[in-house]
Amino acid sequence: MFQLSPGTEAERGRKRARVVSGRQSCPLSAGRSHFSARRSSESRRPSEVPAMSARGCKPSRLLLPALLLLLLWLPRLAVDAAGAAGARWNGEGTSPNLQSIFLGRCNDYRPLLSPEEQNKNCTAIWEAFKLVLDKDPCSVLPSDYDLFISLSRHSLPRDKSLFWENNHLLVTSYADNTRRFTPLCDVLYGRVGDFLSWCRQENASGLDYQSCPTAEDCENNPVDSYWKRASIQYSKDSSGVIHVMLNGSEPTGAYPIKGFFADFEIPYFQKDKITRIEIWVMHEIGGPNVESCGEGSVKVLEERLEEMGFQYSCINDYVPVKLLKCVDHSTHPDCALNSHPVPLPRGNHYFWFVVYRSCKIPFSKTHCT
Amino acid sequence: MANHRFSPVSEGEQPCCDISRKAQICLCVVLSLLVLVIIAVVTAILMWPRSPPNHKEWQGSGTTAHFGDIVLGRCYTYTQIVRPELRDKDCQKIQEVFLKSFLSKDPCDATEQDYQPLIELANQTVPCNKTVFWSKTKELAHQYTRVQQALFTLENTLLGYIADDLSWCGDSGSSEINYQSCPTRRDNCSSNPVSVFWNTVSKRFAEDACGVVHVVLNGSLNEAFDRRSTFGRVEIHNLHPKKVHTLQAWVMHDIGGVRSDSCSSSSIRDLKSIISERNITFTCQNNYRPVRFLQCVKNPEHPSCTSGI
Repeated sequence: MFQLSPGTEAERGRKRARVVSGRQSCPLSAGRSHFSARRSSESRRPSEVPAMSARGCKPSRLLLPALLLLLLWLPRLAVDAAGAAGARWNGEGTSPNLQSIFLGRCNDYRPLLSPEEQNKNCTAIWEAFKLVLDKDPCSVLPSDYDLFISLSRHSLPRDKSLFWENNHLLVTSYADNTRRFTPLCDVLYGRVGDFLSWCRQENASGLDYQSCPTAEDCENNPVDSYWKRASIQYSKDSSGVIHVMLNGSEPTGAYPIKGFFADFEIPYFQKDKITRIEIWVMHEIGGPNVESCGEGSVKVLEERLEEMGFQYSCINDYVPVKLLKCVDHSTHPDCALNSHPVPLPRGNHYFWFVVYRSCKIPFSKTHCT
Repeated sequence: MANHRFSPVSEGEQPCCDISRKAQICLCVVLSLLVLVIIAVVTAILMWPRSPPNHKEWQGSGTTAHFGDIVLGRCYTYTQIVRPELRDKDCQKIQEVFLKSFLSKDPCDATEQDYQPLIELANQTVPCNKTVFWSKTKELAHQYTRVQQALFTLENTLLGYIADDLSWCGDSGSSEINYQSCPTRRDNCSSNPVSVFWNTVSKRFAEDACGVVHVVLNGSLNEAFDRRSTFGRVEIHNLHPKKVHTLQAWVMHDIGGVRSDSCSSSSIRDLKSIISERNITFTCQNNYRPVRFLQCVKNPEHPSCTSGI
């Protein structure tokens, strides 16, 4: 069973949502992120923590405590968790109007495709996707999405792939609807399923709108298998410089040893297409510096990449992304424009340490780029 | 003595009807003509729907492909995911009413009234102090509201979200969507469906605003405030002085760009006088810091992003 280390705060839970619940954490990239949607998915996270920490428990034993917590913790949870009292599974039910949303997004994505790829048939792509909706919700494998992927896949621009863990909003904002980067959710086969949930009823045909299985319920559920399959394809089709954004303020570690990136993306990197890998370890403004380049789980990642034969570099608080974070913290001392850290990349070809250079020293000559 | 007449019959051959060769040729010609006519008619019938003669040719690009599907999908995405408090909106009806507002109508004569039913259906309250206007700064304003999700530009409201970057038009002679071309001002057609839509929803957006409203302006242009822009023509004139007490302008300069306009320049003074005349307080800030950070993302090395502003 796919196990992730128990997450605690919202960002972690949202990433894990790709695995454990029907709610997608993959950012919606039509330039319109959805605070309330994430809030409602965020509010689901606490219920999953005790469930995850009870490792090895059978899903049926987890269901009752999970449901009780849902009802006790926040009234909103009870409202949001559709029919909590009678829900079969832990995850959100099938999104209403799934087909319309899917088709709308698919057609909406067309201008972002290269001219020769713009003749994609969204109806055919939907029909291919729909096949899993006839299957038992605990018997859907990543390979069940092969036809869907083959119809929806398209070329990815070189040097624009952006992998991430635990910094959903930041990735959406930074990617800017493919203008800067193309994370999985800005790819057609990631966009159509973004923040959606789907599954057939357990013992009948027809969709289950009440609940859908998460990884706690069963591994081979429709939504997790979708994201696994999409992640694999995204990884395989990425080329040039690969970028990875990690959260160095995440208490459980910036690089989840078991997670989507670790298990369904790194293993599928194509060595002959990738020039190098650039890791950005971002920290919350004024927030805890739990891990940085070369430390803890980041070190594990670096060693893994090295072992695989990849050239890599690691930067703490990559400046362009940090500037984006500062939009929300414009008066914080860490965001004073004249005192930017100049993160020098650390990698396996040069060992420079991150130096925080301040230009606030009076009378000093500015040498602060 | 053989009178050499063609003996048409040989083994295996079907005996033809008992007519002369000349008649046979005539018959062949007539049949061929008939076949050609049939092919022509069938082709015309098949080709007919694809290029209806009623659709005029305009200068602008046609309706966005799969317009209806996109509208419906965006509506559901917005009401179920982006702002779930609007989940009771009837997207099917909204799509229907949207189409009705321009189909079978002269695309050079669109009116505000055409869009009233749609506006009523998609009606939405934007909280006070959260309205952000923009003029010649669309990308920057949207980047800002993507980070500050409590704020709304017009394109963060349901109707704006649905219609953003789409184009559409119909024709008075047909009930079909015109996917070939749509009128623009170049066709001497300023009352085209898309322009009128945005004028109408912008007006409503301004009318509904309350508290402190903001506007992101481009100080690297000759005129940061342009009276002919939608902001200058429509929005500022439809702010309700009883509801909106302050308009806060942020005049942003391109990083490394010219500083042609700023809070003290004439176009901004012009804006200030219009606003003040309407009994609304006007405040202005050059390079409002949070938005400045956004600009710096693209130019982190630039001195104005590393040294104090």
